Amino acid sequence: MPARTIMQWLAPAVLAVAIAPVTQAAEYAGGDEITVLQGFKPGGGSDALAQLVQPRLSEILGINFVNEYMPGATGAVAWTRLAKQSPNDGSVISITNTPMLMTNYIMNDAISYDTDEMTPIANVVTDPGIVVVNADSEYQTIENLLDAAKQNPGTVTIGNSGVGGDDFFTTILLEQASGLSFKRVPFQGDGPSATAAMGGKIDASFNNLGNVYSQIESGNLRALAVFAEERLDTLPDVPTMKEKGFDIVAGSSRGYSAPAGIPVEARQQLIEAFQTLAKDPDFQAQAEQRAMNLDVVTGDDYRAMIDQMEERFRGVWDEVKDDVAQ
Amino acid sequence: MDSSLVMTGLTNVLSLTNIACILGGTVLGLFVGAMPGLSATMALALLLPLTFSFDPATGLSMLAALYVGASYGGSIAAILLRTPGTPSAAATVLDGFPLSQQGKAGQALGISLFASFFGGLMSGIALLTAAPLLGTLVLEFGPVELFAIAVLGITIIGSLAQGSVISGLFSGGLGLLVSTVGMDLTTGTPRMTFDQINLFSGIDFTVALIGLFSVPQALTLIENSNQGEKVASRITDRLIPRLQTIKKLMPNILRSSGIGVIVGLIPGTGGDTASWFAYNEAKRFAKDKSHFGKGEIAGVAAPEAANNAVVGGALIPTIALGIPGSSSTAILLGALMVQGILPGPNLLTDYGDVTYTLIWAVILANVGLLVVGLAFTKMSVSVTRVPDGFVACAILTLCIIGAFAINNSLFDVGLMLGFGLFGYWLAKAGVSPAPMVIGLILGPVMEVSFQQSMLIGNDSFGVFLDSPIATVLLILALLSILQATPAFRWVRRPLKRRLQRG
Repeated sequence: MPARTIMQWLAPAVLAVAIAPVTQAAEYAGGDEITVLQGFKPGGGSDALAQLVQPRLSEILGINFVNEYMPGATGAVAWTRLAKQSPNDGSVISITNTPMLMTNYIMNDAISYDTDEMTPIANVVTDPGIVVVNADSEYQTIENLLDAAKQNPGTVTIGNSGVGGDDFFTTILLEQASGLSFKRVPFQGDGPSATAAMGGKIDASFNNLGNVYSQIESGNLRALAVFAEERLDTLPDVPTMKEKGFDIVAGSSRGYSAPAGIPVEARQQLIEAFQTLAKDPDFQAQAEQRAMNLDVVTGDDYRAMIDQMEERFRGVWDEVKDDVAQ
Repeated sequence: MDSSLVMTGLTNVLSLTNIACILGGTVLGLFVGAMPGLSATMALALLLPLTFSFDPATGLSMLAALYVGASYGGSIAAILLRTPGTPSAAATVLDGFPLSQQGKAGQALGISLFASFFGGLMSGIALLTAAPLLGTLVLEFGPVELFAIAVLGITIIGSLAQGSVISGLFSGGLGLLVSTVGMDLTTGTPRMTFDQINLFSGIDFTVALIGLFSVPQALTLIENSNQGEKVASRITDRLIPRLQTIKKLMPNILRSSGIGVIVGLIPGTGGDTASWFAYNEAKRFAKDKSHFGKGEIAGVAAPEAANNAVVGGALIPTIALGIPGSSSTAILLGALMVQGILPGPNLLTDYGDVTYTLIWAVILANVGLLVVGLAFTKMSVSVTRVPDGFVACAILTLCIIGAFAINNSLFDVGLMLGFGLFGYWLAKAGVSPAPMVIGLILGPVMEVSFQQSMLIGNDSFGVFLDSPIATVLLILALLSILQATPAFRWVRRPLKRRLQRG
């Protein structure tokens, strides 16, 4: 047993040493170490992605990844650092969460970075938006919930993960598309919002699949609808909002971006690494086990995805900001 | 509860690797906890990436042991140096340090260790036996109930305001005011942030706490360093408390452990809150309140039993429902997620082997704490033989490291030093920083839950009366306030007289 103990301690070190020389052939243009700025605390959703993605990227690129956690202002501290104060030689990247990445500065003038000051590398996962209610809730279907809002406008309570988060905007998009009005209740994150729905404290929670999947599976929550293009493989019985006549596809996405103007070669190598990663069956299986919905979009396509989202949310915010910030 | 899983967990935890990791975690926790400025949550966050390469059960056991160790370790610096090692040991300072000044540091540390052990053990047993039952209780606590808890907690300020009520209320009000810095939850508007994005998430109360408690003490040590006489420099009494003392404190320890478990299991409140609640109740139940704040041993036992009981309490909803009961257990859940275990209500069933190993690890870590803690505490007492000037420099260095490590932010270091200077001024002016800390801890909880309650209740205060839990808690808060006013004495005096006569 003691021998195994020592091996468990040493294994990572041995691995790190062993990997380095083998893969030296294709040298990464941004150096032999990449610092990843994380805008959230260790152990959160971003970290879970980092721990899944980075060991594999490390093998593909033959470099080491160093995580630097800088939580604060819903990621804006880290992203300001990325855009304004990081070397653009490919040695620093950051996990970028959309739509938070854009809504941060759309909503607050004091946040000064812009996605134009970044080089989007790749989106990795998109956690689709989902409507959940307490298992004992009177609302059996999404129609029930919408009817209740029609009969008593502004009283049906809908939890979201916080002002500026994806669920907050999804609620507004649904309000605009349906002409209904809900009572939006912000929480400090998806977890507390789901808990409140589980306890029957709010009528429904607009959440994300990954956060509530195990609660749906075990019967604590009931899913009424998903904000996805098509029905999800994991929840085949839950209808999409599109089916119900509301063309809203939304979710919370996480990917990687670098500062603007990094060397073309480094950008290309990073993009190719993510493309290789996306095809790895072991990676796909691991992601599925963690209820992470892979949505790998690289390079210019990721840029387009960001720009599109920014335009859409800027429009939504311009319309509702006077109402929200009374 | 599946008894075979319970046994699997027990055999898992008794493997050499796991015992070694649990003991290692406990020692590391003691060490980190004892250092002013370094907190349990921070240590968990720093150790977390290291455990990714471990087997899930081993990694989690080590993290849990660290959490247990740090929950006690914080009291060592609180008692010996008047600087809480962790936020949850802030209440221990009030009576721990006066005891140390009277030359009773050994007694205070011994009681702190035993109270921590009992608190931790009891919460471990609650975790093992009643987790599924108590876990569902968490769902009863929504924004409305959380608001009532925060209000009840705020009333503690009144009872902490020893001497001058005005200065206590001033300190508490200041804490509440500072806690409003940051983004407004319901509108997203930044308040009092002066366009400084480092303030958007508000002021981390740990940063303020380090500044308010530790920096003034370091400065005071430097001021007095040439005076020669040091009362607390030697342990003249025994570390292991007498059976008689333990017996006398047992009701207090049991009550405090209960408070710890309950406060721990409510998401949004943790060891920092529980220790103040327990301290306040110990004072309320005491026949002779005059010694509190001047070196009352019950004032050490209560917060220490409570903050260790929080560990098990906070784990209850974590394992029963996948809902973290505190910021530290949120990190433990993160560890599970990274290991590929999706936290949810299936932790006790599908991943029962890992979960029960974790539960046994908590119990084992408390036993380990008692053994390792005795040796460690004896060693750490030698810190009082170090000249004050050196201790002061070490405290300041640790404060800077600690403030930086919370968010990897230099801004926080500046903020901490600012709070430090302010705290120094408060100390000179004779204002206690304790009410301010309570304001800082509970202010955001109270504000956020109030806004949410108003939204849920359609802007009607009736929402608080619709919830039996909230109603009871708010009535308790009202009584707690009345108790401190002359009105209560007018009612009580004739009543007492009548009782005596009758």
